[in-house]
Amino acid sequence: MKEVQTFRPRLKVLGKQQVDAIHASALEILATMGVKMEHPGALAMLKNAGCEVFNEDWVKIPAELVEAAIKTAPKKFTLYDQNGNPAMPLEDGNSFYGTGSDTNFTIDVETGERRPTVIADVANFAKLVDGLDNISFNMSMANAQDVPVKDIYIHAFVAMVKNTNKPMVFIADSGRDIAVIHQIASAIAGGEEKFRAKPFMLNYSEAISPLRFPETIVDKLIFCAQKGIPLCLPSGSNAGGGAPVTLAGAMAMGIAENLAGLVIHQMTNKGAPFLFGPNVSVLDMKSAVVSYGCPEWSLSQAALADMRDELYGIPTWAYAGASDSKVMDAQAGAEAAFSIYSAMLAHANVIHDMGYLEYGSTSCLEMVTMANELVAMSRFFAGGIPVNDGTLALDALKRVSGTPGSMFLMDDHTFEHFMEAQFTPKLLDRSRYDAWEGAGSQDMYKRCNVEAKRILDEHEMEPKSKEVLEQIDNIVSK
Amino acid sequence: MSDYKALQEAVLKGDIKTALEQTQKAIDAKDVARDVLDNGLIPAMDEMGDRFAKGVAFVPQMLRAAKTMQECVKLLQPLFAEGDITSKGKVLIGTVKGDLHDIGKNLVAMMLEGAGFTIVDIGVDVSPDKFVEKVKETNPDIVGMSALLSTTMPAMPETIEALKTAGLRDNIKIMIGGAPVTEKYATQIEADSYASDAGSAVAKAKELLGIS
Ligand code: B1M
Repeated sequence: MKEVQTFRPRLKVLGKQQVDAIHASALEILATMGVKMEHPGALAMLKNAGCEVFNEDWVKIPAELVEAAIKTAPKKFTLYDQNGNPAMPLEDGNSFYGTGSDTNFTIDVETGERRPTVIADVANFAKLVDGLDNISFNMSMANAQDVPVKDIYIHAFVAMVKNTNKPMVFIADSGRDIAVIHQIASAIAGGEEKFRAKPFMLNYSEAISPLRFPETIVDKLIFCAQKGIPLCLPSGSNAGGGAPVTLAGAMAMGIAENLAGLVIHQMTNKGAPFLFGPNVSVLDMKSAVVSYGCPEWSLSQAALADMRDELYGIPTWAYAGASDSKVMDAQAGAEAAFSIYSAMLAHANVIHDMGYLEYGSTSCLEMVTMANELVAMSRFFAGGIPVNDGTLALDALKRVSGTPGSMFLMDDHTFEHFMEAQFTPKLLDRSRYDAWEGAGSQDMYKRCNVEAKRILDEHEMEPKSKEVLEQIDNIVSK
Repeated sequence: MSDYKALQEAVLKGDIKTALEQTQKAIDAKDVARDVLDNGLIPAMDEMGDRFAKGVAFVPQMLRAAKTMQECVKLLQPLFAEGDITSKGKVLIGTVKGDLHDIGKNLVAMMLEGAGFTIVDIGVDVSPDKFVEKVKETNPDIVGMSALLSTTMPAMPETIEALKTAGLRDNIKIMIGGAPVTEKYATQIEADSYASDAGSAVAKAKELLGIS
């Protein structure tokens, strides 16, 4: 039989026509309304490039500059692990999932209670991520209340690198702590140039919707461009709050903000890696919270993946595996599954916030553990159906139908293929009732709790060398 | 006294045009401005607050009703008698130093305004000194501080300290809020009040000033 390619299921929500219209609107925003650029250096750079500066620090950015930045931004790049191995090739709509940043509370894995987060939580989440196969990158998951607030992001970073070797997305407050974090990263990579060649971390900074670029944020943006630290710059263009309530408008504005950041980024260092996309969630009109479980965010990031494929080519930033529920219940499962699955089918690239509860206020180890399983399930689905002689299995059918009393279960074809032909869940329970009851009648939350604790107990991350650890301590104590 | 049903309906619908017409009608009928406010507009807003609390009205409807009411108050303004207090009190509000989140702060400000308070919004990333300066300048009853980041919460006690040093603390009530802020924290830093959302911020502000 002639070779048949496997079709990769793909969710598409925008066609070329819609993509062009949204892009045109973003260009119009930049060229006619401009952005508020509070960074004098960046403002001067834009002015020199021919942009019109008005009202002190507002600047209009013409389409040519934007198109030039889109052109020079890399269309693919790789995030490495901390040992220098390629881990996340961001190309071809590859999807990678990871945790989220700064929550104020966590669900205690021992007591099940919601309590303020401490630095030990950052370490635990990192360790869990290190031990979970389908979670590709790590974020802090906690805003620790037991470390000096001034250096909170440095402490979080150290706790992370001491507990995982996976790629990371990190947060910094300003130009000061990001420089320290970069020093630590360089120590781990074996020098600044080695880090630049094989970056293992991505900075998460945010412009402010509508259309505002504070100085500290642009400081970080320029620092990352210079040092070759990949970064994303998703403004919080939540529909109805920071952005128009209609998704097209929120996207156009968020994309305009991203493009303005990209222009400065590429002017600073052409070809430096940039991850594209705003966070277009919604401001819930009853509770006034920014939702972390709504279909709108999933829809807008699927649309963004279409914009990537039709136009920009630049890998995208996305979210999934989070919930607005206060506990890990059916709502949390439904919202996590919906967002994970749609992000995968949309071929979004770097997907964060796995394991958030309570609209990003609370983190939950069990939720990360469940999300890990849901990613596996979605990945299986997104793999599509391979069609070839082996999978069409006419030989097997011939054998089985020719043997009275036989069935496929005992055929060699089943033995040889069942592992890849089927999705085998680990935590989603399919046991018979009595077996389930015999094992303690555990629900999903409980099973994830047991599994999270097991990983925290048993998983051993490959330790960093003594020298690296010493260097880190030296940098921090300076 | 006229029947304010049509006016109230217009406020609840956020129909500014009709509300203004109805207010004008009351003015033409020589209604006392104070009555239009107390028996017409305020009960409508109370009803809206009730609907919102019950989850049958949404934030934009609430804000639109508040705006409608404000437009009507503007029309009434020249007619208020001397001594008519049309403001429930003055609230100075800002997001603390280092913090750029303002959606929550803005919402709190709008709700307070809708409930009849006068608002002085001094923006985001407001330093303790700037709070002091603005308090001196505007003489508010309540100072509201918002912080969304753990890293910026310490700016709250710093601001309170600065207000104390400037000798202004005793003249004002302090209310704080924002996602990482708690009741306990408010007690700890000796703020007078904490509110978890915009609705309760209104209730707390009234409580602080002993009004209903
Ligand atoms: C005076 O009396 C009162 C009384 C009540 C008061 C009050 C004052 N103030 C508030 N309230 C209360 O009433 C309001 C109305 O009901 C409520 O206000 P809220 O603000 O809670 O509610 C609003 C109506 C809607 N909610 C919001 O607007 C906040 C939503 C989330 C998603 C959020 C947003 C939108 C943003 N963010 Co930021 N952001 C998050 C938020 C996560 C979340 N889901 O809450 C949070 C707050 N952010 C966080 C972080 C880390 C950051 N953010 C940052 C930036 C931003 C954006 C600019 C992108 C954007 C803000 C845009 C803007 N104009 O405000 C950065 C900091 C920038 C800075 N220096 O301020 C940055 C550091 C991220 C970065 N990578 O740089 C986290 C804080 C963690 C922590 N404990 O410190 C965070 C919880 C998200 C997370 N889980 O990581 C109540 O809190």
